[in-house]
Amino acid sequence: MAQHDDESAVSRRDFFKSVGVGGLATGVLAATEAAPQAAPGAVGPGAVPVRLTINGRPYNLHIEPRVTLLDAVRDHALLTGNKRVCDRGTCGACTMIVDGHTVYACSTLAIETVGKKIRTVDGLAKDGQLHKVQEAFCDRDAMMCGFCTPGFVMATVALLEKFPSPTPTQIRHELNGNVCRCGTFNRVLEAAHQAAGVQHG
Amino acid sequence: MANETTQQPPAANPNEPTANAKKYAWALPPAKTAILSQRVERVDGPAKVSGTARYTYDIHRPGMLWARAVRSPHPHAKIVDIDLSAAKKAPGVRAVLAWRDPGAEVMYQGDVVAAVAADSEDHARDAARLVNVTYETLPFSVREATSMDAATPKIFPNGNTRPGQTAEAGDLAAGFKAAAHIVEATYDTQVITHVCLESHGAVCEWNGDKLTAWVSTQGVHATRQQLAGALKIPEANVRVICEYMGGGFGSKVSADAAVVIPARLALMTGTPVKLMLDRKEEHLDSGNRPSAFSKIRAGVTADGKCVAFDAQTWGTGGAGQGAQFPLPYIYQFANRKRSHLDVYINAGNQRPMRAPGHPQGCFATEVLMDELADLVKMEPIEFRLKNLPPTAPDAMWAEYYKIGAKKFGWNKRHATGDGGKGHLKKGMGVSACQWGGGGRAGNAHIDIFADGSVVVKCGTQDLGTGTRTVVGGVAADTLGIPLSMVKAEIGDTLLPFAGVSGGSTATAGITPAIRIAAGRAKDAFLARVGAATGIDPAKLTIANGRVQGGGKSLSWKAACKHLGQEPISIDNAWEPGLSSVNTSGVQFAEVTVDTDTGIVKVDRVLAIQDCGLVINKLLAESQVYGGVISSINFALFEDRILDRRTGQMVNPNMEHYLLASMQDIPPVEVMLMNMPERGVIGIGEPPTVPTASAIANAVRNATGVTIRSLPLHPHRVLAALEAHKAGRNA
Amino acid sequence: MKAFAYVSPATAQDALAALKAGGIVRPLAGGQDLLARMKDYVETADTLVNVKQALDSTVTPAAGGLRIGAAVTLDALSRNAQVLRLYPALAEAAGKVGSPQIRHQGTVGGNLNQRPRCWYFRQEEFVCFKKGGNRCFSVDGENQYNAIFGNDGPSKIVHASSLAVPCVAYGARFVIAGPNGEREVPAAEYFTLPTMQNVKKENILGDDELLTHVVLPAPGRIRSGHYEVRFKESRDWPMAFATVVVTTRGGVVDSARVVLGAVAPTPWRSEAAERALVGKPLNAASAEAAAEAAVVGAKPLSQNAYKIQITKTAVTRAILDAAGLKA
Repeated sequence: MAQHDDESAVSRRDFFKSVGVGGLATGVLAATEAAPQAAPGAVGPGAVPVRLTINGRPYNLHIEPRVTLLDAVRDHALLTGNKRVCDRGTCGACTMIVDGHTVYACSTLAIETVGKKIRTVDGLAKDGQLHKVQEAFCDRDAMMCGFCTPGFVMATVALLEKFPSPTPTQIRHELNGNVCRCGTFNRVLEAAHQAAGVQHG
Repeated sequence: MANETTQQPPAANPNEPTANAKKYAWALPPAKTAILSQRVERVDGPAKVSGTARYTYDIHRPGMLWARAVRSPHPHAKIVDIDLSAAKKAPGVRAVLAWRDPGAEVMYQGDVVAAVAADSEDHARDAARLVNVTYETLPFSVREATSMDAATPKIFPNGNTRPGQTAEAGDLAAGFKAAAHIVEATYDTQVITHVCLESHGAVCEWNGDKLTAWVSTQGVHATRQQLAGALKIPEANVRVICEYMGGGFGSKVSADAAVVIPARLALMTGTPVKLMLDRKEEHLDSGNRPSAFSKIRAGVTADGKCVAFDAQTWGTGGAGQGAQFPLPYIYQFANRKRSHLDVYINAGNQRPMRAPGHPQGCFATEVLMDELADLVKMEPIEFRLKNLPPTAPDAMWAEYYKIGAKKFGWNKRHATGDGGKGHLKKGMGVSACQWGGGGRAGNAHIDIFADGSVVVKCGTQDLGTGTRTVVGGVAADTLGIPLSMVKAEIGDTLLPFAGVSGGSTATAGITPAIRIAAGRAKDAFLARVGAATGIDPAKLTIANGRVQGGGKSLSWKAACKHLGQEPISIDNAWEPGLSSVNTSGVQFAEVTVDTDTGIVKVDRVLAIQDCGLVINKLLAESQVYGGVISSINFALFEDRILDRRTGQMVNPNMEHYLLASMQDIPPVEVMLMNMPERGVIGIGEPPTVPTASAIANAVRNATGVTIRSLPLHPHRVLAALEAHKAGRNA
Repeated sequence: MKAFAYVSPATAQDALAALKAGGIVRPLAGGQDLLARMKDYVETADTLVNVKQALDSTVTPAAGGLRIGAAVTLDALSRNAQVLRLYPALAEAAGKVGSPQIRHQGTVGGNLNQRPRCWYFRQEEFVCFKKGGNRCFSVDGENQYNAIFGNDGPSKIVHASSLAVPCVAYGARFVIAGPNGEREVPAAEYFTLPTMQNVKKENILGDDELLTHVVLPAPGRIRSGHYEVRFKESRDWPMAFATVVVTTRGGVVDSARVVLGAVAPTPWRSEAAERALVGKPLNAASAEAAAEAAVVGAKPLSQNAYKIQITKTAVTRAILDAAGLKA
């Protein structure tokens, strides 16, 4: 295949035109208990070892495949910084950074993040020193009840790592996936500008 | 340590400032304050931005089980049978609980019927789905009009509606006779839900006959009392903790099923139990703002005096709650009559929602005012000035309108409907608000230790308002030491009693006690330091953490050493003289309406708000931003929608229940009007009252079409524009 | 969610084999739609097959056009230099989906296969035709977001995919892999109008098949335009949108494709609007005429007549976008 210049290509897989049918029997669908004949290499539905790398540290969890990244981090790794609010990928409170991109951790299975770099708000401050985004949020009072704050902080950190000198439009755009009910949007925007070293207004 | 609170002789006037209040009065300008009225960063900011702040949702206790409620899918049904047998046998289940008895009626979708506790949240959810409830469905109503229809069978125990009192003043007939112009119209606002980001719930843990409950609550002491009552155990055996909470907005003022269920399950299992509602449950069963309909006939004289106001109002607060709201709102109609009807529907019950009643009454009145102003051909602010109550410290709208008009560029506002050529029409609107606030419930305790540490204790709550910082800030300012040297402890019933954080009463409820306690602590401290150093205490001052006087200058720590073994330890209750009631504010909004899509965008908002003494400018400003955004959501986006045939909510999530994102938020300018001489009043609620009305008026100005109904969804705006074109809208 | 087994095969061949395992097996791409449906028990699975490794996540030139792997994320698609240059409406549509977080994980294949947002479909309590029930709740219900075209069948949903419309407008073909090999279908034939026989699905993809690529033809001398009528810019879906792809000769349109979104159970091609454009210059007048033609025959439900107006707006503005004119 021809070379391409798409930066986003993760890998290139060749696709074979003819596919042999594997020797899988179609299992009878059991009511609730025993799993039907599983695909080869399948794990679960019961708990299985899942090793996650969170904030640079390994966490050896034992969880069911249906456990989301958010619940794995909060309830199994016991890192409760990121919050659960909608659990449907519609509010951003659970925003984490996985391999450099913000994701809704509630809409990600923990098991599919094995081998990836997971960063949460719990690991942002280093040796008691707040990240410049966290400092800016405090300076500008970009929080009230604080429940949306970890998500906004991570979204802002990712924004600045992606766009070190962001335009005001890029700042607003990258923070569009997060909701605040207390109404801190204006000050979150100010904090993001401050952290970016950009004039606001 | 003594737990003596000061005893004041009962005053003839309950608001008469006490001797303590006079002695420790707020420093008024031009006196300089280090903290009060300044912009001081939130003390719990670092904890919130780093995720170390622990909310109820984050609590993990050893051996903790997860609970899940089973809820009625039907809007109205009789429970025939609750079969828990399959759930009981499900993996990980440790307890099952029938919450209602067979024969009981569930009155709305989401009404709790049973609950389970299991070793994981997934197991609890799985098990809950195995609870088999047999229902006999019954007739229901999910529309106000249906419940008000005489042909509808009786659904609710005491009738489908409940008339309220009729209020009258003046001579209505004479008023209408004197009216040169009359408006007859119906105004309405929708039901919205609180959408606290942290859902309702609790973690309950028994130790013998003592219960510790971590609860997401606006009132730890009130919750303790209610929880004890529900469980029929002594209040003294219950401890309620809420150090951080993810929003309340009025929905977390009492101990509801979400709190009692985990307590019962924990008692059954002997292990801690956590129950946190999910988003759907939150929409269905943790409160809402009632709807409000106002059928108004109002008259104005030729020279612009509001002279007659006749209104029939109604609204629904769900299956068993009322829907009252003030009307007319602020502006004076000498001759008026208003009757109200509470309407019940089979939906979740209302709970107080940020400024209960005021956004609804404000909307109907303020849109009406713009209509009346146009009829007498008066500019809208001038018209309002003519009909406001007399100016007073708690009624400053006239001055705020004038200040705001200048700042906003109000003179550039075009006549109604003249929004320019093309499909993008711009317009401006105004609105006013008032709120009581005040607060009389809050005790404080303060300790000063020999190692220099200071702790202030008050069993109040911080829902994001910044109460923790207020508590520490008032104490630090009074003592004369930096805020960083004071630790504020709140959110625990082990701490002195304080009232519910509601009604914008918390700050006024607790700061007098803190002020006086800190003042008395400072006096006691200086007396001891003076005795130890031989300096006359009257000559000693504390500023910036240094104790000076009589030729000496000591650091705070060095001075504290003189305390020896016994700390300074002072208690005080709330006392009158440092707080008061009633605030006023106005807001201006500018919008752009795309008449080819019906989409309304808010371009900018100006909010002018007073609150008595501003304790912390940074926090107070955030409250105003927050209130404004809340009201923008109310005006444009939010709507609790029930399917008209099945009675079930179609949007119990954050996908179809619309809430603003960053790009929907306009620049907001906040002007706080500090009135230290009035003492502390409160600011949480008033800023959320007028924005929606100002936006509606701006839309009217932009398009020439009066839209008397919220929310301003595109399909509703388009329908109004179309009806106007077809000549169907007066 | 109901508990499920999980497998993440390395190749498409293994993924297809995994789909044939016992019980209900579902492919998991970005997960931004599937997991939410499973949490609401609108969908259950016994096994999830993570296809992100198995499917192509690259954008490659192909015969003058582009071959886009189904595992390309929406974010990557929206920023891809070639897509931006050759098929800008597709990049724009991808860049507006949901939110940054959604776009970082959501994939091309996942978006095209996105199931309806209809709130009756999305709530477990409403057992509608698509879930094996015997009614469509939107009829006489809260149908402000349902279809105004193609709504004679049992279901009145609107198709939820933002990418589907530009794909149809650009004449894309979809590559489908299955147990018997590979096939290609024009995008317009991938999506199906609901009948009593097929109402449980929105497209022709079999349970044992995977959508593997979107193939875009060489653009030639096309100009395209795109407009989405969105109440909220993010965390929302458009209420109506349109992609317009035209070729011009001698200052007038000589071929046109006008495709509407969020108005029908499939991307809705308006030949009437196309006829209104052919032979005319691209300007405000022809845009308005095409918009009027586009809504002829619309059959609104009780609450969604407003969609007629906003569809006209979407078509008008998409044409002006193609013309490089301001709305």
